Amino acid sequence: MAAAAEKSTKERLLSVLDDLEVLSRELIEMLALARNQKVPQPGEDTQILELLVQRDKEFQELMEVAQQQGKIHQEMQLLEKEVEKRDSDIQQLQKQLKEAEHILATAVYQAKEKLASIEKAKKGSVSSEEIIKYAHRISASNAVCAPLNWVPGDPRRPYPTDLEMRSGILGHMANLPSNGVNGHLPGDALAAGRLPDILTPHYPWQSSDVSAGMLPPHHGNDFSLEPPGHNKENEDDVEAMSTDSSSSSSDSD
Amino acid sequence: IAGVAKSEVQARHRFQAELEFVQCLANPYYLNFLAQRGFLKERPFINYLKYLLYWKEPEYSKFLKYPHCLHMLELLQYEHFRKEQVNAQCAKFIDEQQLLHWQHYSRKRTRLQQALAEQQQAQQPPQPHGNAAAK
Repeated sequence: MAAAAEKSTKERLLSVLDDLEVLSRELIEMLALARNQKVPQPGEDTQILELLVQRDKEFQELMEVAQQQGKIHQEMQLLEKEVEKRDSDIQQLQKQLKEAEHILATAVYQAKEKLASIEKAKKGSVSSEEIIKYAHRISASNAVCAPLNWVPGDPRRPYPTDLEMRSGILGHMANLPSNGVNGHLPGDALAAGRLPDILTPHYPWQSSDVSAGMLPPHHGNDFSLEPPGHNKENEDDVEAMSTDSSSSSSDSD
Repeated sequence: IAGVAKSEVQARHRFQAELEFVQCLANPYYLNFLAQRGFLKERPFINYLKYLLYWKEPEYSKFLKYPHCLHMLELLQYEHFRKEQVNAQCAKFIDEQQLLHWQHYSRKRTRLQQALAEQQQAQQPPQPHGNAAAK
């Protein structure tokens, strides 16, 4: 707005100057004319003089106005510089705030992940005593770690050998004439091989005393029915049995 | 009451049988045996294998003496693996790998013991020399 006023002030100044120029020219012409002619025009020179004086006053006023406008313009420039400074300060703060937000978001995310993994770990926690007992059991029998003096030719293996398999209850089941034991397929499988009737010492892998209170999960007797849902080939990884089958309560079938 | 007791006995018996059977799966030659008689192709048997996965739960797996069986059980869920069991070379390969894995820790232990023994031997001789030089 200052610029527009200045322009118009400038224009006004210039127009006043033009007027002054025109008037003074006329006056001088009149005077020149008056010198040549003896009869001066009666009121015209006064008129022109008055106009001149008027224009001059206008001119002076306009100059003052222009001065004030100049001062104001300077002030405005100073303020603009201040505004610029404040602007850059705000931008700086904005940047820092954004950074802080980013850092906090990362921290929160990582904390959430940590909590999730803590939950997961808690879920899978096992009593250390049980683990130690179990470790003892499987190491003592060389089931997971070969005996130090093992050489090829040693009959011991990390899996149950023929002998062990036959001396278990599966081996005995195979020798039963009736097949009314839950229609158990593995019994049939063992029976299909040649099995002598041995009552050999009870191997600990059959763990009858350890598993005294343990019962298998409930299941329908008929495995020929397709289980509900998925086929193995379509799954990416093996899923554990559905949770309702891992209870150890006895189900009266 | 008698009925309940009888079914409990049956269930316990079934538990034992399933415990033994699932561990038999650790024996690659047994798997070969089953495959050659066509058991691994029968749908009921495949369903049974899936059912046996309950042995992976901690409250059941603590009874297993031969933990290799769980890995075999997992592999048996895949048809491709079941098909391969017919080959005798497959069984032999698995057996070899199992034995090597089985021996891994004993070998590691003997290596560590050897390394320790060598270290101690290396330390022993310099000491008397050091003392002599100090004097």
